[in-house]
Amino acid sequence: MKTRVIIKKFLQALGVIAITLVFVGLGNWQLDRAGIVKELNAAAKVIDPKVYSLSQLATPTVALDSRNVNKQVSLSGFYISNFKAPLQSDRDGVVSDWEVALLQVDGSGPLSGILVVRGLWADRLLNMDIAMSTRIELVGTMQPHQNDDRAENVPGVISRLDSSVIVGQANLQLYDGFIVAQSEVTASGELIRTRVVAEVPVSRVAGYYWQHISYVAIWWLMAAIVLYLPFYRRRITS
Amino acid sequence: MSGAVKRFRVMAVIAGVMSLLLWFVDLPVAYLFNNEDWKSKVAWIPFVHGWVYAVYLLAALQFSVKARWELRRVIWLALAGTLPIASFIAERKIVKTYS
Repeated sequence: MKTRVIIKKFLQALGVIAITLVFVGLGNWQLDRAGIVKELNAAAKVIDPKVYSLSQLATPTVALDSRNVNKQVSLSGFYISNFKAPLQSDRDGVVSDWEVALLQVDGSGPLSGILVVRGLWADRLLNMDIAMSTRIELVGTMQPHQNDDRAENVPGVISRLDSSVIVGQANLQLYDGFIVAQSEVTASGELIRTRVVAEVPVSRVAGYYWQHISYVAIWWLMAAIVLYLPFYRRRITS
Repeated sequence: MSGAVKRFRVMAVIAGVMSLLLWFVDLPVAYLFNNEDWKSKVAWIPFVHGWVYAVYLLAALQFSVKARWELRRVIWLALAGTLPIASFIAERKIVKTYS
């Protein structure tokens, strides 16, 4: 009889600890989300004048670190395919079709590629001399991949600026996110065309910083309450 | 006891109003309409609801301890703050019993 009571108490303690850990874990998860929201919002506001190499900011097939969003990046390579990205909105809210190219990054091994927004689709015929063998040196800003489709994926068109929609179209390891080109230079000089400025990236995590912090408080409060409950019950029975 | 009941009543009404706003204003705007202007105007609702619910939880716990409620009722009281109308019903029941 006494053993049964001990086992019951032991299982109750295990249950309390398990539920407490779940609540603490949920609080930590919300804390992470709050951190991501804060970092991405900060990255969208801070203007970092330094120009980084692509390898400093990103790695192929690895999710782009939100702290590297909006940073300037310099790289070189070859455009191996072109796409139309319909209905893209710039920083001023102007919606237009953009020309996007897949850049095979120079000297990368294994071969890697990243999407580059070159400018307006309407200006695509301005630089007809660009061929797949033309080496491009470009400077641009890193942006996180988009999540919402603006069109259907058909040959030559990408539904959103996200390398995952073109996986399989080239034998390259693709970088997460994309680059909005600010300048492109070839051996024959700089390519002059209208450049677009990407809209301020929106956090992929729903909600706001202090909202997530309030959920952290609630989950941890729940954990504290669960820890308190065994004592609460004892008080009732006394 | 009357202080705990008063605190719970105040928090139950505020949490109930915030739940109604969350369920019937913020969530439809966030998920049914694609209007960034509306979204920014209702952005305060989930934020305020989150903190109000935390205080509601403390008030509900304090009341439950003083009233020496059984565990199941305490859990229902805690959950009532998350559902629209439920906290109003809880508040009415408690007023009827303890006032």
